[in-house]
Amino acid sequence: MTELPWLYAALTAYGLATAFAYYDIMPVRGGRVARHAYNERLVLLLLLTAVGLMMAALGERWLRLGHGPFVNLFELLMSQLFSLGVIYTLVYWRVPAMRRGALVALPMLWILGSWVLVIEPMDSVLPPTYHNDWLWAHVGFGKVFLSFCLLGSSLAGVLLLRRWPLFQGWFRVMPADKVIDALAWRFMLIAFAFHTLMLIAGAVWAQDAWGRYWAWDALETSSFLNWLLLGASLHARVSYKVPMRVGAVLIIVVFVFAFFTYFGAPFYSEAAHKGVI
Amino acid sequence: MSRRLKWLGSTRFTLVGMALLGVGAALSYDNPVTTPVWVLVIPLLLLALNLLLAIIINPAINRRPGLLLFHVGLLSIVSLVAVGRLTFMEAHIELVDGAAFDPDSLFDVRQGPWHGGDLERIRFIQQGYTVEYRPGMKRGLTYNHILLADDKGLVEPRVIGDDRPLLVAGYRLYSTSNKGFAPRLTWVAEDGTSVSGSINMPSYPLLYFRQANEWTPPGGPAIKFWLQLETGLKEDAAWVLQPERATGTLVVNQAGQRVELQPGESLTLPGGTLHYDQLSGWMGFKVFYDPTLPFLFISAILAVLGLFIHYWRKFKAEPLLLKSESDGQSLSLSSAKTVQVDR
Repeated sequence: MTELPWLYAALTAYGLATAFAYYDIMPVRGGRVARHAYNERLVLLLLLTAVGLMMAALGERWLRLGHGPFVNLFELLMSQLFSLGVIYTLVYWRVPAMRRGALVALPMLWILGSWVLVIEPMDSVLPPTYHNDWLWAHVGFGKVFLSFCLLGSSLAGVLLLRRWPLFQGWFRVMPADKVIDALAWRFMLIAFAFHTLMLIAGAVWAQDAWGRYWAWDALETSSFLNWLLLGASLHARVSYKVPMRVGAVLIIVVFVFAFFTYFGAPFYSEAAHKGVI
Repeated sequence: MSRRLKWLGSTRFTLVGMALLGVGAALSYDNPVTTPVWVLVIPLLLLALNLLLAIIINPAINRRPGLLLFHVGLLSIVSLVAVGRLTFMEAHIELVDGAAFDPDSLFDVRQGPWHGGDLERIRFIQQGYTVEYRPGMKRGLTYNHILLADDKGLVEPRVIGDDRPLLVAGYRLYSTSNKGFAPRLTWVAEDGTSVSGSINMPSYPLLYFRQANEWTPPGGPAIKFWLQLETGLKEDAAWVLQPERATGTLVVNQAGQRVELQPGESLTLPGGTLHYDQLSGWMGFKVFYDPTLPFLFISAILAVLGLFIHYWRKFKAEPLLLKSESDGQSLSLSSAKTVQVDR
């Protein structure tokens, strides 16, 4: 398992990024602004390092096995740590006002980081039906979807945590609730578009691979329900003028559902996709 | 426009339709035979009606090109899925090496009431297959060779397999993991009449331990066959399954008489003589027909395109001013409107 040192190094970098993000909120006697700017740069650098190391881990495994990280849970977790890291780091870099959201987003990332540490890093064999270009599109769109869900739900988490005096100080440097709410929903709108693309690419792949575009297997059913839930949440926001905090809960529910769709299906289905092998 | 129609075209009714569709989808998980199809059909009909009315009466949709395209795309998808279920066909067929596709040999046929495909236009001859296996009996790539004849009678060799179906006359033919061996036999009755054919043994290597079948010759008692194969099968190493390189001893059992035959050998039995001509392979195909597939794809892509157009216009018109609360500046959307609803 020559990729493991790279993986552990990447997780260490993610861990340090999380630690420095939290160090930023610790009480300080003076010079908070200077320390804040320094910490943010440090967190960004650590996130970039983590993503680079994750890419090295994936590349090493890819070269060793001869195929991409598409088959078992260990590979899925590794590739998600990479893709979520890439998109989160991009947003962290480009939208400075949202950086304090790392206090919510990075612990969410750590659910995957902890999980990948406790599962067996087994090798995998690429099923014959995975030699298909649409698989790349399907998986790629799915990763973008989940990344924007993470972004949206981290902002939703900020909105909810701000209710308590304990956390108000943490997120004082962030914009007002109204702006965060609007941005969180924009992330979810983008997530919705990429979820739709994921379903389309998956259907085309399934038609080629198994001779049907839809079969209500575990992943198909769960991801369709997730699409409906997100679509219904967007409609509910229009129809009922959903209060911000209720909207934030809805966003988190969508993210949790997406999380279980991605990583739960292997637990209640022998093969994630029907006829996968 | 009556209030009832407005409500049917409202986003609130969309939520009702989505909730019903969610229940239908959850009940349809894994296609249980106990779940009736209407749990999906009724919500889809309601949502189609809702979409149609919303497109016509809701200015939030029909005055925004992106949203309009998205909702028209969704309505097209629902309509096309319905047409697809009325016109589809699914079936299976097993073809021995050298055999031509014959629509009369299809089995497990399921088709919609409006299916209008022309199976006679599918003309090809099965030529044999090769399947790569990795250690642990994990199936790798399948290369299934066929000779495809076009409408002018020209013949062209093709290789299909796994995610590379044969596309012909609107049909898609997929080679499957269901394949095996088939001893070719000739039965010459005592009156001199003969019949040739093959006996398809169970799927290989899935049922490698049970390569047995039986056949009843015209007017005679049933003959039991058992095939002892040498294919190079390895459980813990890579190997290639290729019927033309395999050898098989055919064990014939009739009325307590047990005889082993090699290809080219014969056996005289009550009622006639059995010739074991050669060992062949057979491939199981899935046949699929749905004329709506390309239109479904186009509708889906147009729908997503509509979403992106809508987002582009919306985000451009209402950029967010991302300023921190501690800056002490006005904290609102730059358009100075109240928070706009996203759809």
